[in-house]
Amino acid sequence: MEKFLFRFRKNPELYIGAAISAVMMLIIIAGVLFSPYDPDSMDAASKFASPSLKHLLGCDNFGRDLFSRLTLGGATTLLIAFFTVLIGITVGTLVGAFTGYYGGAVDEVLMRFNDAVLAFPSILLALVFISVFGSGTWKVIISLGIVFVPSFARIVRSEFMRCKNLDYVRSARLMGAKDIRIMFVHIFPNTVPVVLSSAVIGFNNAVLAEAGMSFLGIGVQPPASSLGRMLSDAQAFLFSEPGYAVFTGVTIALMVLGFSLLGDGLKKNA
Amino acid sequence: MKTAVRKAAAFIITVLLVTLFVFIAFELIPGDAATAKLGTSATPEAYEALREELGLTRPFFVRYFSWLFSFFFGDMGTSYSYGVSVRSMLASKLPITLTLTLMSFVMIIILSIPIGVLSSKYEDRAGAKALDVLGQLTMSVPPFFLGILITYFFGMVLRLFTPGGFVSYDVNPVRFAAYLFFPSLAIALPKAAMSIKLLKTSILSERKLDYVRTAYSRGNSSMDVMYKHVLKNAIIPVITFLGMTLADIVAGSLVIEQVFSIPGYGRLLITSISNRDYPVVQAIIAIIAMLVIIINLIVDVLYQVMDPRLRGN
Amino acid sequence: MLDVTDLHIEIEDSLIPETVVYDFDLTVGAGEIVGIVGESGSGKSMSALAIAGLLSRRDMKKHGSITFEGNELLTMNRSMLRRIQGDDIAVVFQEPMTSLNPVKTIGWQVEEALRIHRDLSDEELKRAAVKMLDDVEIPDPEGCYHKYPHELSGGMRQRVMIAAALICDPKLLIADEPTTALDVTIQAQIIELLKKINREKGTAILFISHDLSLVRTLCSRVVVMNKGRIVESGPVEDVFAHPKEEYTRQLIGAIPKFEKIAGVTYHPDRKPILEVSHVSARYRKVTGYFRPNSKPKQVVSDVSFTMYEGEIMGLVGESGSGKTTLGKTILGMLDDTEGKIVHYSQMPQMIFQDPYGSLNPTKTVGRILEEPLRIKGGYTAAERLAMAKDMLGLVGLDETYLKRKPNALSGGQRQRVCIALALMLGPKLIIADEPVSALDVTVQEQVLNLLIKVNRELGVAILFISHDLKVVYELCSRMIVMKSGQIVEQGTDDEIYNNPRHPYTQQLLSSAGYVNR
Repeated sequence: MEKFLFRFRKNPELYIGAAISAVMMLIIIAGVLFSPYDPDSMDAASKFASPSLKHLLGCDNFGRDLFSRLTLGGATTLLIAFFTVLIGITVGTLVGAFTGYYGGAVDEVLMRFNDAVLAFPSILLALVFISVFGSGTWKVIISLGIVFVPSFARIVRSEFMRCKNLDYVRSARLMGAKDIRIMFVHIFPNTVPVVLSSAVIGFNNAVLAEAGMSFLGIGVQPPASSLGRMLSDAQAFLFSEPGYAVFTGVTIALMVLGFSLLGDGLKKNA
Repeated sequence: MKTAVRKAAAFIITVLLVTLFVFIAFELIPGDAATAKLGTSATPEAYEALREELGLTRPFFVRYFSWLFSFFFGDMGTSYSYGVSVRSMLASKLPITLTLTLMSFVMIIILSIPIGVLSSKYEDRAGAKALDVLGQLTMSVPPFFLGILITYFFGMVLRLFTPGGFVSYDVNPVRFAAYLFFPSLAIALPKAAMSIKLLKTSILSERKLDYVRTAYSRGNSSMDVMYKHVLKNAIIPVITFLGMTLADIVAGSLVIEQVFSIPGYGRLLITSISNRDYPVVQAIIAIIAMLVIIINLIVDVLYQVMDPRLRGN
Repeated sequence: MLDVTDLHIEIEDSLIPETVVYDFDLTVGAGEIVGIVGESGSGKSMSALAIAGLLSRRDMKKHGSITFEGNELLTMNRSMLRRIQGDDIAVVFQEPMTSLNPVKTIGWQVEEALRIHRDLSDEELKRAAVKMLDDVEIPDPEGCYHKYPHELSGGMRQRVMIAAALICDPKLLIADEPTTALDVTIQAQIIELLKKINREKGTAILFISHDLSLVRTLCSRVVVMNKGRIVESGPVEDVFAHPKEEYTRQLIGAIPKFEKIAGVTYHPDRKPILEVSHVSARYRKVTGYFRPNSKPKQVVSDVSFTMYEGEIMGLVGESGSGKTTLGKTILGMLDDTEGKIVHYSQMPQMIFQDPYGSLNPTKTVGRILEEPLRIKGGYTAAERLAMAKDMLGLVGLDETYLKRKPNALSGGQRQRVCIALALMLGPKLIIADEPVSALDVTVQEQVLNLLIKVNRELGVAILFISHDLKVVYELCSRMIVMKSGQIVEQGTDDEIYNNPRHPYTQQLLSSAGYVNR
């Protein structure tokens, strides 16, 4: 217990962030699995019903149970963020590993390209892809995934550049290890903490980007629900039913808070 | 001098890459300007003739450079939906988005430097700790939700402004700026919170460095140590952050325009994407990317001025 | 002039308040040089900072008395204290690399105290600063005035620190380990400079150091500290000649003694294992294709020597002499080299300076030792494990270490693992780059003994790269002295240590405290 308190005081972000993220995820999973309401079933009688034991957070403008819709929307957002980061990190790690390790002209060209891509605000870049691919859940994932590649590539690249001149890598080279072995047996495991913390931070950014895009109406398309989309619907009833917008917004904010604290904490530990 | 040439070269390369990227992206979209003009019912002959007339049969790089040159000379094509020149559609909206972006940027600076300095000075006090928590919460609120909250509290409850009551700058510049105040605040607050946190950590870590002790040993007061020594070093990472944030601020303004019903680039962009009005989308994206690149260049120069270690070699 | 009586310093910041200085008494007369000697953690720097008024009042509790020219500094209010700081009492710190503000020009920083304490025009300030820079023997003071700290070498920065401290002509200069971070030859120059300042300006100096031999050359009186207390004080020669306390005797005993480790071998058979002829190496900072390459820097130029089977040869030089680069060149780690290198055995292996960076932190010791065998291929898992165990035994670690990760090992244990790793493929030559300089003195001896053992039992030749003449003397039979990328002298230990021909070798030996016998 004392040991835990000590660790907690040294890195409160990590533990608070982990707790918030875990609770949010549990609620979302539990909500999706066990909610008694179909998130899409409309019921004119309970339009804008207030929070009660029957409807935990009340109902929306179509009389749909808000809690069920929030958990479903949250799950969509989480899944999109997860796959986005997966794409970003896989491609980014490969690109970063090779460019960071070998350097040279290919690296320089790719980094210029990276700079160029990073000049776009991420949501704007995703909008470019959306206008090319069209909108929809998987298209959002692919668009955001591509958008996230450069930042991961950059992080992995700088880690590889740092590690490739460390003494243990040099000694592996002296012993005749091949480049691929050095890259993935010797260097890669050492980049994991940094990659992990940036993955969590990236996850957070993906949540925000997805919510932003769906808020603008060009992300997830109905009937699929997403938190951003719900917030945009809620804005129309802001004056009469502020609860709808507040519950939705707070859900997004809590998710972002949890993951950003977790990311900061991991970064501190890395 | 060498540095300047190098920066200029890197700048030009970035501009070329970014514009090339935008150009390629819109080349990939199925259907071209000819299809857009004629619709799908036209005969293949008429279609080919129009393609020839519009110059779509020329080689790729010829088309790219001709697009690039006409873009820089202000010819951005014609809107598919409205049939008017894209330039005329964009020119009137530029001041709106630009004001919104700059206003939030200025707010971030005005908020973060004094608060960052004060909260590092009184780091042990309860107030500074409460501010940390408040900052962490603010950082987590997405700008569009913050916008909605601001609309509700300042617009609907306190009635400090009329939600949806945007006034254009050519009608009444004062009311225009007043209306943009709250949207700018919604963009600025989360970023200001990050910038405060960064400045505070930066000051606290600088204060532990040896040169600070040297400064005290010469008889400097703690005020002088802070303003003549620490701040000038501590501000450097904050400048990097502000530079990187600019892209986010622009992105934030695109979304915030939607929340506050401001007819700037953001709303135009969204409508144009929904209407598949590609010339407009392409032009807006290219312009915003240009703005970000130029601002990055300015930050880079500023960075060199602030940190002598980066000058020369 | 300065009178400290019964000073106690207590740190309140940590959970348990801790007293770091007890019953500290000290007097410094005008124009005197007094030394405070002690190991790190002895409280010597704390006392000096207290005298300079630089301990934070919030986290530290101080009582006793510090009077300077009749004024009590401990209870004086802040603004009064500030008038003395930088004007009458000035400080030079240990780390010249970090003690200057990186974003201000040298001129601005040298003038600073003057700007605070006197009312002078910019013109007068500049004239004073340039003169001061000239006084501390900085070449081209006018040019230096406009430079930034990162453009100067460590020695130059320390001169700048001294100039900035002396600009108001202080009565007392507190120098806290001012030469520790510098190379030996630069050290000697800074000590000379301090002597000159004391002689010409009559500045009293309080010199804090862990190095008794330095204190002996500079100070007239000395205070010896251990664990926060003064153990002995008096005139330097008395303390040295008749140390009253056991601790002082130990400290004096710690002044380097040059003795061969038993078992150092001389090999008469002279079969070459490595021939280096006319080798040069350049470093080019490749920063990118769109950035101009800086001019290639010649680090090693035209170096030739031969190593023989089974010998331990020393490669001596100060930092920047090119000795590490030469080692890397021999191992083919650099691109831009010329000359001929002939290996008469399989590829040599290397032991690196920093035992914390040379073992992969994500792998266990067993996995690390097996790696070379895995790379080579052709061993079964059982064979690899057995070989790793054997090698670990040879370097004096038992097999429980196989499962540990490097983070769970001490510096000495890590260096043992590094030696085992270098030996796994059975090389006949090992290049050891400062293998003991990151270790504590007692651990150093153990690792050196291990190297001798490896040399004797396995017949492995060792090229031992070091800046430490004492260590090189202990285990090498022949040595090479390098300066600015060139070999200035090479020969047997007797030739180099007892008949050094090159003035640079002589200088190195005298600053290392070697006494010819």
